[in-house]
Amino acid sequence: MTIAILLVVAAVVCLVFVYLAVSRSRQLDGERSLAGIQPIDIDAFRNLVDPREVDYLRRSLPPPEFRRVQRKRLLAAAAYVRTAKQNAEFLVQVGQAAQASASVDTAVAARHMVDQALRLQRNAFLALLRIRAASLWPHEGVPATPVLDTYDRLTGSAMLLGRLQNPAAPMRITS
Amino acid sequence: MLPAAVRGIVPANHMLQAHSPLWHYLWVAPNVLLLLLVAILWRRGVFRSQPTFLWYAIGTAVVELVDYATDISPAVSSESWWLIFKIGAIIEGLLKFILIGAIFGQLVSDYSSIAALGRFLIRAAGVTLILAGALIAALAPQDSLFAFVKNAHLMQQSVFLVVTGILLFIFWFAGYFRLKFPRLDFWIALGLTLSACVHLATWGIAVNAGLPDDKRTMLDFINMGTFQVCVVLWFYYLLAPHRVSTKPVPIPKEELAVWNRELERLLQR
Repeated sequence: MTIAILLVVAAVVCLVFVYLAVSRSRQLDGERSLAGIQPIDIDAFRNLVDPREVDYLRRSLPPPEFRRVQRKRLLAAAAYVRTAKQNAEFLVQVGQAAQASASVDTAVAARHMVDQALRLQRNAFLALLRIRAASLWPHEGVPATPVLDTYDRLTGSAMLLGRLQNPAAPMRITS
Repeated sequence: MLPAAVRGIVPANHMLQAHSPLWHYLWVAPNVLLLLLVAILWRRGVFRSQPTFLWYAIGTAVVELVDYATDISPAVSSESWWLIFKIGAIIEGLLKFILIGAIFGQLVSDYSSIAALGRFLIRAAGVTLILAGALIAALAPQDSLFAFVKNAHLMQQSVFLVVTGILLFIFWFAGYFRLKFPRLDFWIALGLTLSACVHLATWGIAVNAGLPDDKRTMLDFINMGTFQVCVVLWFYYLLAPHRVSTKPVPIPKEELAVWNRELERLLQR
């Protein structure tokens, strides 16, 4: 009887989960332009994931102090990774909608951007797992370099799509 | 017949018994409707986006109609019927897994960046669920059912556990990466999930709760009724016309400016 109850509860939980997932995705579709992009301080993020910084801190601080500081750095890196992931989620939604564009260039650029955004999300997913594991015994660097690299590439893809969709928008790329 | 039951011409619970008109209707009608849906999809050419669904629909409808025909035929013994049921359930289960695999394949096929991770995770989920299904089946209590009936029940419980878990994983995966299902795939997956969840609960009760036969018949009604709902859902959403928006959704200018600044900062380094 206990197993029967467990299976019924599991089935109900599954149904509720799917209902929530579907309604959430539809709600996000509606609010897509409101959520927007959260800016990331790239320099600070680079500093956090720089292995030389970790080496310097390890040499300069006693081990317990180093672990305390490193744990805080890991938490900060996790916050950056989550923000980067949210930006990528936003761009996946925008890109998927733009794939229906009648313009071939826009559709191709959108597809490329979605792929880059998904790559960033994948790297963020793996980085967050590694950060959680590293927080238990913080003696290594912050394992989030792939997120930074893909964020870099995603920014380029988003700019290209933005330029195709908003040709009149000002472009101030420093030479 | 329902008004007749309300007026007391037939017993009120008559409809919820095996071999009642409602029982015949619920076993036959959804499968006939499913074959009709296949024919319409075929004529309209809609099947091209998800051909696996057609094979699943034809296979499921044929298996169910064979089960029905052998159930009402006096020439088929009880033991033979359960053997036919088990073979049909295996065919149905295989078709369902192929369809689910095709839906997941379409979801990730355009995006090489997550295809490998998705395939790895769905395989891991599948193996975990098969082990869980085997464990839960091993823990099932002994009861007075014949072994060939009990085995069929256990097989259905395990199949629906795996199907439910994998469909749940697919919805989680799509939600996590904000992937949009192709329209047909979404409604097919939603119908399959609804059906799988209800079947998991009912087979779980049938196997583990030790219900008497009349109560177990109620579970059949729930299963057949749910399948009817799923077929109607598919009928409506796979055939109803839908608007295809070709208007691009632009990245808002303010956000473009934020990305502009981000890119500028990256290039300055």
